[in-house]
Amino acid sequence: MKVRLPLILVLITGILGALPFIIPHRIAQNFDNEFRNSVLRIIAAFSLVLGVGSIVRHHIYKIQRRKENWEYSWILLVSLVITSIIGLFGGIEGNGSLPTRIGDFYFDIQTIYMHAAIPLGATMFAMLSFFMASAAYRAFRARNFEATLLLLAAFIVMLGSVPLSTYVLPKLPDFAEWILTVPNTAAKRGMGFGIALGSLATSLKIILGIERGWLGGTK
Amino acid sequence: MNGSLKSNYGIWEKLTKIDRRLIYLFLFLVVLIPLIYPFRLAPRAMTPVLKLFNHIDTIPKDKCLVISVDYTPDTEPELHPMTIALLRHAFSRKIKVGILCISLLGLGLAQDAISIVTNEFNSKALTRNDSVIYGRDYVFWGWQTPVLVPILGMGENISKVFPVDYYGNKTDTLEIMKTIKNYNDVGILVSISGSAIPFYYITYAQTQFGVRIGVGSTAVQAADFYPYINSGQVTGMMSGMKGAAEYEQLVEERCKIYARRKATDAMAAQTAAHLWIMITIIIGNIGYFILRRRK
Repeated sequence: MKVRLPLILVLITGILGALPFIIPHRIAQNFDNEFRNSVLRIIAAFSLVLGVGSIVRHHIYKIQRRKENWEYSWILLVSLVITSIIGLFGGIEGNGSLPTRIGDFYFDIQTIYMHAAIPLGATMFAMLSFFMASAAYRAFRARNFEATLLLLAAFIVMLGSVPLSTYVLPKLPDFAEWILTVPNTAAKRGMGFGIALGSLATSLKIILGIERGWLGGTK
Repeated sequence: MNGSLKSNYGIWEKLTKIDRRLIYLFLFLVVLIPLIYPFRLAPRAMTPVLKLFNHIDTIPKDKCLVISVDYTPDTEPELHPMTIALLRHAFSRKIKVGILCISLLGLGLAQDAISIVTNEFNSKALTRNDSVIYGRDYVFWGWQTPVLVPILGMGENISKVFPVDYYGNKTDTLEIMKTIKNYNDVGILVSISGSAIPFYYITYAQTQFGVRIGVGSTAVQAADFYPYINSGQVTGMMSGMKGAAEYEQLVEERCKIYARRKATDAMAAQTAAHLWIMITIIIGNIGYFILRRRK
């Protein structure tokens, strides 16, 4: 039953999820609307509880066992608790029951988001440019014909992606656009068909219970 | 003789093994200096951006623009100017706007863009008609999950998907919602994202309901959307900071909206960074070629 029940559930929900795209009848459409608006939202709410529970458990375990970088787990847990309390009781812009201001110091969710989450996120992403620059210098070598072609295409697209090229070589941005529109599209379409067919086959295998890896290795 | 050949060999070898800290330092400087001393490079709008702009510019009065703010703080510098430029364009043309988020972290950014643009317009407004008023000219529906619920649900009834807006008002009570019922009332939906969310809009909203889709994507992701532009499933696209700068340029030129253009200001830094990366690649290849020839 431990295996059969999830398999039956996947079979039923998989078929019910696909049928409304093929059957335009009102009953099928209404059922699909209800299924999405009620059932899917409830599942999403449960997954939120599951996600928060899982992350809390993981970091408590890390702290207890003094695993590598366990100190950072404290930061995560404290931030999670504080921002949850502020968000739940303080409102988005400090209009809840919990005061979110001491003098000129504001700590409502929108302020925390604008002054902590955004700079931290942008910093993480900005670091990528350094690694990309270093990796491009080390790895981008014209070793053979294919690599040379790739290098040339990258140069044209990179130059075409900055307005300077419009002043220096007015036709270059159009050529960069052509590379993206024609050869890129041709390659992407081929890949797209392959991926779509692969996804279809995998989905069918999961729905029909042939592929059972998602059960977590249970036989 | 042998020693001189060896020393020459050493120089070329050094070119292929520049310390990465040096590359980081120069990259830091070429990005920082243009940000402190900016020089403006006016971009020329490319076809996908022009198509998006022209389509929004000609949205009929009875239809609205929907912006799906689906990006997160990490891509804010690249994508946030797009939302701001779209809002400026729509409000200057008196096009009604609906805003939603599929990504939870987009909520704060959407709120920020709304505050910036509504303050700009309302500070210059002389009458109530000139002002941008919540519930009359725009609505912020907020966030809904999982991804298929809002995307498919909005095709049937938007108020049902978002019974209350971001501020807790019942959406049915808002004046704007009398004219925006579902995708039939949407002139174009622009999904701005650094993730796969625009693909969901293309696959479900465009294919099933025929709604026009616009995309705002990061530069690295832009290549993925070209097949959909060619097929007509995507009406127009802004790609990366350059796409945002091109849209800002069009909004300034054609709508006469003069305000801070963050993407255009950042173009100088991006140009310098691109050039530096290209220079390092060229240096690396020169060293590599000479060493290979000598071996």
